[in-house]
Amino acid sequence: MDTRFACIFVPDFPVEAVVRPEPDLREQPVAVLEGAAPLLRVVAANGKARALGIEMGMTRLQAEALPDVLLRRRSFLQEDAAHAALLDCAAAFSPRVEATAADTALLDLAGLERLFGPAQKITRDLARRASELGLETNVAVASNPDAALHAARRFPGVTLIPHNKEAERLGDLPLDVLAPAPEMLEILDRWGVRTFRALAALPEVAISERLGQEGLRLQKLARGAGSRPLVAAQPPLNFEEAIELEHPLELLEPLAFLLGRMLEQLCSRLSSRALATNELRLRLQLEHQEETFERNLRLPVPMQDARLFLKLLELDLKSHPPGAPVVKLWLAAEPAPPRFAQNGLFLPLSPEPQKLELTLARISGIVGNGRAGSPELLDSHRPGAFRMVRFHPPLPGRTKISTTNGDLTMALRIFRPPLLASIDVQNGCPAKISCKSGQGLQGQIVWAAGPWRASGDWWGEGNWMRDEWDIAVRQENELALYRLVRELITGKWFLEGNYD
Amino acid sequence: MTYVELHARSAFSFLEGASLPEEMAAICSELGMPAMAMLDRDGVYGAPRFHLAAKKCGVQAHIGAEITGADGAVYPLLVESRVGYQNLCRLITRMKMRAPKHAKPGQIAATEEELAEHAKGLICLTGGDDGPLALALSKKGAGRGAVARLLKIFGPGNVYVELHRHFCREQEARNLAAVEIARRLGLPLLATNGVRYGTEPEREILDVFTCLRHHKILETAGRLLARNAECQLKSAEEMIRIFADLPQAIAATRELSSRLQFTLNDLGYEFPKYPVPEGETMMSFLRKRSDEGARKRYGSAEPDLRTRARRQIERELALIEKLDLAGYFLIVWDIVRFCREQNILVQGRGSAANSAVCYSLGITAVDPVRMDLLFERFLSEERGEWPDIDLDLPSGDQREHAIQYIYERYGKLGAAMTANVITYRGKLAAREMGKVLGFDPETLDRLSSLVGSWEYKDPKDTLERQFRDAGFDLRHPRMRKFFELCLSVQDLPRHLGQHSGGMVISQGQLDSVVPLEPASMPGRVVVQWDKDDCTDMGIIKVDLLGLGMMAVLEDSLKLIRQDYGEEVDLAQLPADDAAVYAALQKADTVGMFQIESRAQMSCLPRLHPQKFYDIVVQVAIIRPGPIVGKMVHPYLKRRQGREPVVYPHPSLETVLARTLGVPLFQEQLLRMAMIAAGFSGGEAEELRRAFGFKRSEARMKDIEVKLRAGMAHNGISPQAQDEIVQSITSFALYGFPESHAASFALLAYASAYLKCHYLPAFTAALLNNQPMGFYHASTIVKDAQRHGLKILPVDVTHSDWLCTLEHDQDSRDFRLRMGMRYVKGMREEAAHALVRERDRGPFDSIDNLARRVLEMRKNELTTLAEIGAQNSIPDADQKLLPKKSKFHRRDALWEVERVARKSGPLLEDLTEVDSSSPLERMNNDERLLADFRGTGLTVGPHPMSYRRAEMEARGVRRAIELESLPHGQHLRVAGCVIARQRPGTAKGFVFLSLEDETGIANAIVTPDLFEQNRLLLVSEKFLLIEGVLQHQDNVISVKAECVLPLQITAAQTISHDFH
Repeated sequence: MDTRFACIFVPDFPVEAVVRPEPDLREQPVAVLEGAAPLLRVVAANGKARALGIEMGMTRLQAEALPDVLLRRRSFLQEDAAHAALLDCAAAFSPRVEATAADTALLDLAGLERLFGPAQKITRDLARRASELGLETNVAVASNPDAALHAARRFPGVTLIPHNKEAERLGDLPLDVLAPAPEMLEILDRWGVRTFRALAALPEVAISERLGQEGLRLQKLARGAGSRPLVAAQPPLNFEEAIELEHPLELLEPLAFLLGRMLEQLCSRLSSRALATNELRLRLQLEHQEETFERNLRLPVPMQDARLFLKLLELDLKSHPPGAPVVKLWLAAEPAPPRFAQNGLFLPLSPEPQKLELTLARISGIVGNGRAGSPELLDSHRPGAFRMVRFHPPLPGRTKISTTNGDLTMALRIFRPPLLASIDVQNGCPAKISCKSGQGLQGQIVWAAGPWRASGDWWGEGNWMRDEWDIAVRQENELALYRLVRELITGKWFLEGNYD
Repeated sequence: MTYVELHARSAFSFLEGASLPEEMAAICSELGMPAMAMLDRDGVYGAPRFHLAAKKCGVQAHIGAEITGADGAVYPLLVESRVGYQNLCRLITRMKMRAPKHAKPGQIAATEEELAEHAKGLICLTGGDDGPLALALSKKGAGRGAVARLLKIFGPGNVYVELHRHFCREQEARNLAAVEIARRLGLPLLATNGVRYGTEPEREILDVFTCLRHHKILETAGRLLARNAECQLKSAEEMIRIFADLPQAIAATRELSSRLQFTLNDLGYEFPKYPVPEGETMMSFLRKRSDEGARKRYGSAEPDLRTRARRQIERELALIEKLDLAGYFLIVWDIVRFCREQNILVQGRGSAANSAVCYSLGITAVDPVRMDLLFERFLSEERGEWPDIDLDLPSGDQREHAIQYIYERYGKLGAAMTANVITYRGKLAAREMGKVLGFDPETLDRLSSLVGSWEYKDPKDTLERQFRDAGFDLRHPRMRKFFELCLSVQDLPRHLGQHSGGMVISQGQLDSVVPLEPASMPGRVVVQWDKDDCTDMGIIKVDLLGLGMMAVLEDSLKLIRQDYGEEVDLAQLPADDAAVYAALQKADTVGMFQIESRAQMSCLPRLHPQKFYDIVVQVAIIRPGPIVGKMVHPYLKRRQGREPVVYPHPSLETVLARTLGVPLFQEQLLRMAMIAAGFSGGEAEELRRAFGFKRSEARMKDIEVKLRAGMAHNGISPQAQDEIVQSITSFALYGFPESHAASFALLAYASAYLKCHYLPAFTAALLNNQPMGFYHASTIVKDAQRHGLKILPVDVTHSDWLCTLEHDQDSRDFRLRMGMRYVKGMREEAAHALVRERDRGPFDSIDNLARRVLEMRKNELTTLAEIGAQNSIPDADQKLLPKKSKFHRRDALWEVERVARKSGPLLEDLTEVDSSSPLERMNNDERLLADFRGTGLTVGPHPMSYRRAEMEARGVRRAIELESLPHGQHLRVAGCVIARQRPGTAKGFVFLSLEDETGIANAIVTPDLFEQNRLLLVSEKFLLIEGVLQHQDNVISVKAECVLPLQITAAQTISHDFH
């Protein structure tokens, strides 16, 4: 039986992925940058940008020197979407599709002629369909998947290789199309063997003696005679739902209604595969805005509760409103195996994860993002330097209570935030304090120890310098001890705490 | 009340301190501090520099060190007396020499017993955060015991309880405990600031160093970094204020300082005595040796010279006796004698060549009497310095031989190499600063490559612009910080290396003069000071310098002996060899010592050397001194008779006559001062040093006043005075000593002689000692070929590891066979194994070679095949198929690939059924590519020759044609770029050398043209240049007007760039 395979290849894939949602960009020189500032580098560019002098590895500053070239950040999200679209395009024609690479899909055309017509027509339809999905592609059809792949990767547009003409048609291609190991390519280059045709012509036994099985495999490919089976793509575990709206939504309530429907869908799909999710990703396309609005909800344990999810999303959106009417929405759930756990019989009850999550979300909604969780001390001389990490309740039975060795130590009660104070200084020492905030403090400083000086982070924008003083102030006939701080950069004084 | 800082570290604590000793001394002086103690970590590395700098600014320099104890504590020790200093040096030597190789910092430590053994004359402080007291206080209740222990080790009166106040709570808590302990034990308190840098902003450098020491970046170093910036040198007022509650701790600093009587002036160094036979003194023995030598050197000389020589030798010997230097001369003589006995070429250079005694003893090869050289440049009574004798030896094993001889003779603790302090400069600074700021490796590469590629910096070529060109934005705060840090670490020491040739020798124990350390090279010991420090401290040193050209000369002589059966004595070369001067006059000097650079070549035809002294001038004239002092053109014009010879003052005629009234040498400058201003020899040398590298404004001014006064006294007009002062000032810094030039000229002459008369041997020796000199091996090969030498490619049936000579059957000439050292990736042991096996019997196939030479790796076999080195193995194929055309490189590659893929023992002996290779022969370009890839050069046709027809069509002239074309002609030249230079003295002009199959064409690129074609000129391997021919005084170059890239070959040709 006739076997035919098609390959769809997207040249300059990272650029295509960026251009796809913005078709106007297609006619312009575009380069894609990747990395963290200030070290962004060009990782892909379209032909027009290359013609203007863009090279791979250029820094942002160098690329900006070519003012006509549009620079975009690499978007793996858009690349994923482009890849999904590529697979969709292939899947629309054949049930047997291989996701060979992010930019390449192979499909088995066996038996499709009755449905879609002759191979020429299928090839053209494939290219047109891809174009409709926003992808400029090369499409090639050959008797085996590899020949189709090699043709698509090198020949622009649509290529149809007749039966048994693979070797002839591919003969002039350079060997790097085969992506051999660098050492192998070096040997062949030394031999002066640089095209498919030259490699195909070498005697087989001699090749096997010199380059082993890998050499034979490459030679077979060079002869256009690959015969590997397609590794048909598993329908990916891609739990994503999307809704495109006819009219922009302005209020949270109708949005929540739609979200509820999508969540139910997602949960039932997860449930059908006995999966739960530990991460929900919401993406909103807002009216008149290029960039999408995204929110990620990470859950402490995998769950499957649509109502809970909706509540969490609502709380999250309340504290982070999108700021503009919504025109499109995507909602994806990261699949994860559900949690099976049983607490010890005699262990104290900890809050149920679902409820805890809801509570934390509520707290976050009130105090602001990044302000709720567990504090983690930073290794720094800056007093009290910490960052917030996700709240993790201590595991039962593992808490260690620190014991003192009997020494009497003084406790410092920290004022958060510190209280702005006004200080009179005499002979370099604070002499009089006036602090109106908090409970108020005013009077002569009868005793002061210090300064205790610290500074750091001088290499960046977080540069800090401070002097601390321990002071005693007479209050209602008794002495009260305080910690006083002077920020040396601003010159401001603060009352930072009092000693018990 | 005054305060003396008694605990300060400098940057010589290597990554634990952030300021140079000189800077510390200067700050001390500014703060009005009468004295300071510098205690570097486990060494006295910075002590000489601190001592000298402190002396200059009137600060008393106390010496000491922080010693790491085996308990992990750091013991600050101050030197009270010379015994204490010697103990400290021995203690450090002991712990350093014992440490295992690649020891981590904590592993180099002194035990308590060692501390006790070496305690005499030392005073111990209880230390700062890492001191023994702080360490003990961290363990509850152990503080008093620890201090009592120190008392036991160092004795009553020699322990001070140290207090720091850096405004930290923990420190203050420790201070309270320390004060209490001092009170109970009746010990004095001592305030210090535990200084780690001179000024507050340098705290940043210390933080950076801390990161480097712990292999961290600033972001993650956390509390390893300093808490604040309080470890700088503080004024007495500030310290008194800080310690207002403990005035006795401040008073103690002054009192302790007055106890510390030792300074580095009191080093106690003695040069070794040379053992002489009984009944002789060193002086009588030296007299005899120099008489013997003088008879040999001057025996057949004309009577006048003989008399002058005798007088000079007598004069020198008298001075040597007076200064008690006989031992030194005998020791150097002994080293030279050892080298002669071992057939190692040796020649003294530098100022020693001014001495007739050195010439008689065979230490130097230039006759100072005949050349009328100035002895005072070498030795003078006033200077009170040791003379400086540098010996040039062949680089490599032979030099090592001489070094080992000295170790053997003077013992491990009697001789050591001088150190070489590796400091932060351009690339190293950029790399390490980038690292601590957390830049990724790729960025680090890009940043460090930005630094220092051109010698010349034009005003527009700011760092800001360089950064922008490389794609970095200096406006970004992190980049800006990077830039600032790079600037501020410049010149700070990074670690200690070993100087390539300086050795110090001592009578008895060198380790009591300066601490010794094991060097990274096994069997080597290095002192903690560099060669300048040793000189400054009056320690005598002998420099054994490896000189590539000495090795070339020695190897040439060996080859001549072995292959020609002739013996050439370099001391007996004919003085006026016509071929040599003809070559020099044509600037045909590729490969010759010191006169092969592009700048030298462009001067040679103008100078037109005709006698040996002309070569001396030639060696000296293309130097920054004459160039900056604008002496080159006047000299050349006068030589060509285009300008009259005039003198700044008639009295200077005797000094300047032989250089036509233009001062070219340092000696002339000294003589000018002596004649014009009545300076003594020693004063004149003092003048040279005042204007030399370590110049100081004040000292220069003083000397200038003295100079002018002397000249005025001698009736020299103010105008002539200006002229003389001008030539002296511009010259002293870069001027080349005539004696040194003469020593180099001898080597230049010898190399020229060998090249002219023994080209095959000289070329082989030159190729066997690469890299050296100005040109890459490929240029040397092409030059030799143009001189008619046939060069054969590497061939496994003929080549050795080194290049060798072969007899040509037909012409009886020599041909040069390239050695396997030129095969990239080839290991010497594999080459030797191949030669050994080949001597047992020829290889009959590649398979046979691979099976017999098991040391050979696949990549070596492949490269050998690729460059055609296996083409002449009589392959089985050829026996089977006699009609097959000649075995070619691809056939070999085809075969190697099969041979290298080992089959199992069962199939090993099975020959291939059809082993003929189906591969195409390489074409010219592929062969060229393979040659350059595999050997870095080609012995085949020059790449340009393949494209000659095309070049002719484009109107490109060959290099050889240029000399017959008229000045001013508009033309094109093209070739492979073999050198690119942008010298600091040439105002931004760029000089290119383009090589084609007929020779080398020189091109000059103006700064503007360079600016427009920067990338092209810097990176293209082949260029076509259009411009105007400049043909003056036989110097030929093309002044470029337009530059175009040429695609000749993808081969990786190599150019000598920007040095």
